[in-house]
Amino acid sequence: MAADPAGVESLMTALTLDHVTKRFGGLVAVQDVTIEIASAHITGLIGPNGAGKTTLFRVISGDVRPSAGRVLCFGRETTGWSPHAVCRLGVCVTHQIVRPFGELTVLENVLVGAAFGSGGRTAGRAARADVEEVLDFTALAPRRDVLASALTLAERKRLEIARALATRPSILLLDEVLAGLTPAETHQAVALVRGIQARGVTIVMIEHVMRAVMDLSDRVLVLNYGRLIADGSPAEVTRNPEVIEAYLGRDSAVAQ
Amino acid sequence: MRAARPAALAAIAAAILLALVPVVARGNITLLSLGFFTFLYVAQGVAWNILGGFAGYISFGYAAFFGCGAYTTALLWLGGWAPVATYPVAGIVAALFSLVVGVPTLRLAGPYFSIATIGVGEAMRILALNLDRITGGASGLNLPTVVPSKAWFYTAALVFAAVSFAVAAAVRSSRFGLGLQALRMDQEAAESLGVRTALFKNLAHVLSAFIVGACGGLYATYLQFAHPDSVFSFTESISLVLIALIGGLGTLWGPVLGAAVFYAVQDYLQTSYPTFHLLVYGVLLILILLFEPKGLAGVAGRLWRRTPLAWRA
Repeated sequence: MAADPAGVESLMTALTLDHVTKRFGGLVAVQDVTIEIASAHITGLIGPNGAGKTTLFRVISGDVRPSAGRVLCFGRETTGWSPHAVCRLGVCVTHQIVRPFGELTVLENVLVGAAFGSGGRTAGRAARADVEEVLDFTALAPRRDVLASALTLAERKRLEIARALATRPSILLLDEVLAGLTPAETHQAVALVRGIQARGVTIVMIEHVMRAVMDLSDRVLVLNYGRLIADGSPAEVTRNPEVIEAYLGRDSAVAQ
Repeated sequence: MRAARPAALAAIAAAILLALVPVVARGNITLLSLGFFTFLYVAQGVAWNILGGFAGYISFGYAAFFGCGAYTTALLWLGGWAPVATYPVAGIVAALFSLVVGVPTLRLAGPYFSIATIGVGEAMRILALNLDRITGGASGLNLPTVVPSKAWFYTAALVFAAVSFAVAAAVRSSRFGLGLQALRMDQEAAESLGVRTALFKNLAHVLSAFIVGACGGLYATYLQFAHPDSVFSFTESISLVLIALIGGLGTLWGPVLGAAVFYAVQDYLQTSYPTFHLLVYGVLLILILLFEPKGLAGVAGRLWRRTPLAWRA
């Protein structure tokens, strides 16, 4: 488990979901979810496919408006804000299916984040300095002048993170950044996530790679059919019969 | 962003050379009028490309802005204004109209936007045809006959083209331009990185409509006549799309090359073979879509890269 950053920071609430519900027609993707996420922690968000994890991220980022409930970032209500406004407040989300700007170079991709995110109002020298720093931090510096469409999957995932970091987020929502990576690449990505946390960024990550998510997270939330079924330390959550049932089926839960 | 300096120098050199033409060939009316129309299309093609090329919103409705500008100038001119003073107003009227069109239509994605703009363009033409109290309807408006020389018009159009090019170059190398490129490639990703996509699309639309509107004003003074079927024509809208596509969508120099080829071909062929130029455009378009999506600017870029370094200035 990652070290608990001491001090007042860790006691602050970065993100609050207050009875959030999202319906798509008759389907309830997220049902009455209430969560408080502590600042500077890593929170893992797990659950079977279709549990509503990505929808929850989209509600927070402003991509979709919740059918009911409120979202608060640093105490400010952001329900119904556009994604660009949420990003400028310091909440940035990476996409599960990476979406690089293919015809721009790696550097230019990151520059978009630096120029428009919560830090940037210019594409000038200050933004460029940010970009250099982020490229170094994410080990993309050697690939800076390559078109994003020419990157490998692992590099694209790192670019997705780099772009998000360049917006200077206080809260970073990572949607399956480890999926599809080789063990070596996963190892690298885990180190990167730790490095981001060390900078004081609050991280919420959706992840299916259990070993990594249990290893990284201070706290794990479990969604199933749009409802929050468990919330606790990685050890507590893995012992929870309801979680085992959601993942492995009823018999396994009884057998445990 | 890349190689900005040599491009700027080339543009300035070209503009200075072209500005000397009326001094040398003052009496050559054919040449001056060819220049006038070419520059008028350069100015419009480059402006269209700000929205169509940089932001990726292909509009087939720019005749609406051209027509708004032409009629604004026509009416003010008839009201006693000096033509030159009407061009900025023509631009502003077109820009305001583009806002009315853009706010709802720019919410549409890709082809849906394009189709909506066809509707807007045609609706404006029919509206203008029927508002005969204002536009002169099907008989058009005859404008004052006292106009400056052909050399003046040549230079004015050159200035319009230069301003349009400078605006597009400034947009391309700016933060605004970066935002437009990002939203062209992936609107949702751009938005999630903080780009105000709705605002940026509308700004690009307004900026290019302003230039096209002012061009409409200049055109009306040149022709001393304004007619709905000519200034609001679908052909005018299509011309801008063709110029940008043939020249190179989203490139800075593309619409400049595109307009030169477009108008030269039309001028050369139209007199002897009235519709043959359409066939030429069709063939060019097919070749470009098949082999070089970046158009003539892409071809020029390839030739440039193949040029031995020693030959490059």
